This record gives sequence, structure tokens and C-alpha cells, in this order.
Amino acid sequence: MNIVKINVTVYGRYKNIAGNQTIQLDITDGNTLRDVIDVFVKQYPMTKKDKSRMIVTKNKMYSSYDTMITEEDEVSIAPPVVSGG
Amino acid sequence: MMTKDRYRRQALVRELGQNGQDMLATKHVVVIGGGGLGSNSANLMVRMGIGSIDIIDYDSVELSNLHRTSVFSEEDLGKSKALVLQEKLQKVNMNVRAKAINQRVTSENIRAFVSDADVIIDGTDSVPLRLLINEESIRHNIPWVYAGVYETVGMVMGILPKNTPCFQCITQNIPKSTMKEIPVLGSLPATIASIQCNEAIKILLGRHPKGLIIYDVWNQCFDSMNIQRNPSCITCGRK
Repeated sequence: MNIVKINVTVYGRYKNIAGNQTIQLDITDGNTLRDVIDVFVKQYPMTKKDKSRMIVTKNKMYSSYDTMITEEDEVSIAPPVVSGG
Repeated sequence: MMTKDRYRRQALVRELGQNGQDMLATKHVVVIGGGGLGSNSANLMVRMGIGSIDIIDYDSVELSNLHRTSVFSEEDLGKSKALVLQEKLQKVNMNVRAKAINQRVTSENIRAFVSDADVIIDGTDSVPLRLLINEESIRHNIPWVYAGVYETVGMVMGILPKNTPCFQCITQNIPKSTMKEIPVLGSLPATIASIQCNEAIKILLGRHPKGLIIYDVWNQCFDSMNIQRNPSCITCGRK
């Protein structure tokens, strides 16, 4: 099985949930940001309700969930954009 | 009314100084939305000595607004938010020109409202309206400061057209919200409005904003997320 190790920086309450600002996720299935999110949510189920709306960046650039990644990429995940006033 | 004495303590701040204070008095701010965020931001901008401020809101003050703003009171129920803000804030600082615009912002009229703004302050509560502000900002090179709240989380991002990521850069994949009433801790809008005004003042004094600020007051998480412009952004991307 090919395991891709991705370093992920998390923000907001995800930092508390993960217990650290920087975590490493083992991606065993796929190579897109969606796969990273799948593993993140599985590992930290409290984030599940945000799953389709998280702010995700690859190398500091906001990216779609279908964006391909490699171990060299820097991934960040933050809670969804909030819209109340 | 003794303008220098009014701002004496603020002008002592090294990052501002008397020059910065004088510069603020030449600036024009447009606040779109006069609810929890907009009313608190307008209040702060007037007190800090902005030159002029337009407050745009079509709604009336409702009882359910009062828990998250320090400006409205029960005697204002049913009155125009914009007009109440103008009247109250003008009394706070007669040196500032405060103007109420009791209209709904649309794609047809937004240009007329913001054309002479040095910065637009986001006091809205909808993503579509923010995207409209964002498009106008990018098209006419007007900085704006996004702010939003949800439950115990607030976000702020200063947007300098063609320099920083725009709102579209960070919202491209968001599904349309179906939520009718957004839950908000009462103290949160004032907290986030303060951060929003800090970003607005910095932009007005020539500093570049740095990324997306995320503040979760319940979990004591304060973060600044470095996000870069997306070259393929449909609004601000390099075409």
C-alpha cells in the first residue's frame, strides 16, 4: 500500500481538536485534497459537520477539493468562512 | 469641538501619531450593513476620528438585534437602522460627517454608493452581497474589509485589490447556505468589529493586510492564516 505523508497546518478550533497546529496525516487512498479532508475528518470526527465547506489551501493558495497533492506540498485546513453579521 | 484633545491618547500611539490621526480625518468610509457588525464598526470609526462615514442599511431595528450591538436600544425598535446610527453617532462626534442611506444595496446601485470610499466596511450578513462588494472593490480598486460571525467564531480579512487575495479567492467552493437565522454569541460582533476596524485603519494609513484572521472566542483560538492570491480566481485573477 502506498502511503503519502502530508504535513497539515490547522487553524481555529481545529487546532484544539487536533491538539496541535501542525499534524501529519497518512493518506493511503488517493492523492487529492479531498482525500486529505477525508482522513482529517475520520481522525477528528468533531470536524465532520464542516466537511464540505472547509477552507483548504495548497502551498498557501485556496484550492478546490479536487486539487492533486504530493508529499512536498504544504496543506492548511481552517473552519468554513462565516457569513453572519 | 477641541479636536486635538479628543484624539490626544490615540495620537500618542506610535504606529499612528498626529500625522496618522490627521490623515484619518481626510478619509471616507462606507459601511454596508448596520447590524451587529456594521453598527459596532461604524461606532468605532466615528469615535476614532474618520473624516466621513456613510452607513447603508435598508432594515429596521428589531428586538433580536439588541443582544449583539451596543448602539441600538429599545426606543429604536422599528426605526431605520441607518437613520438611528446617523443620529446617534453624529452626537458622539460632531467632527465626523455621518450620513445614512436607507436603501438596499444592489448590483445596479452599488457603484454610486462606494465610488468615493477609501475603504468599504462589511457589515452584511450574506455571501452574495459580499461577492457583490468584492467585485465592485476589484473593478474600481477600492479596499474593503470582510468580517463575518457564526456562533462563537469570527473572521476578518482586509482586501487590497490586486495585492491581497479577494473574497472570491477564499470562497470558491462554498455551497449556498440554506440557514435562515445565523446563531451568534452576543459579545462576538463587537469583538470582531473591533478587529475589522483595526484592519480598516491600517489600510487607510497605508499598511497591507496580512491574510485571514480567525478568532474562536469559545476555544481561545486566535489565528492569522496566510493565504496568497489565486491567479485563476474568476474575480481578481491575472487574466
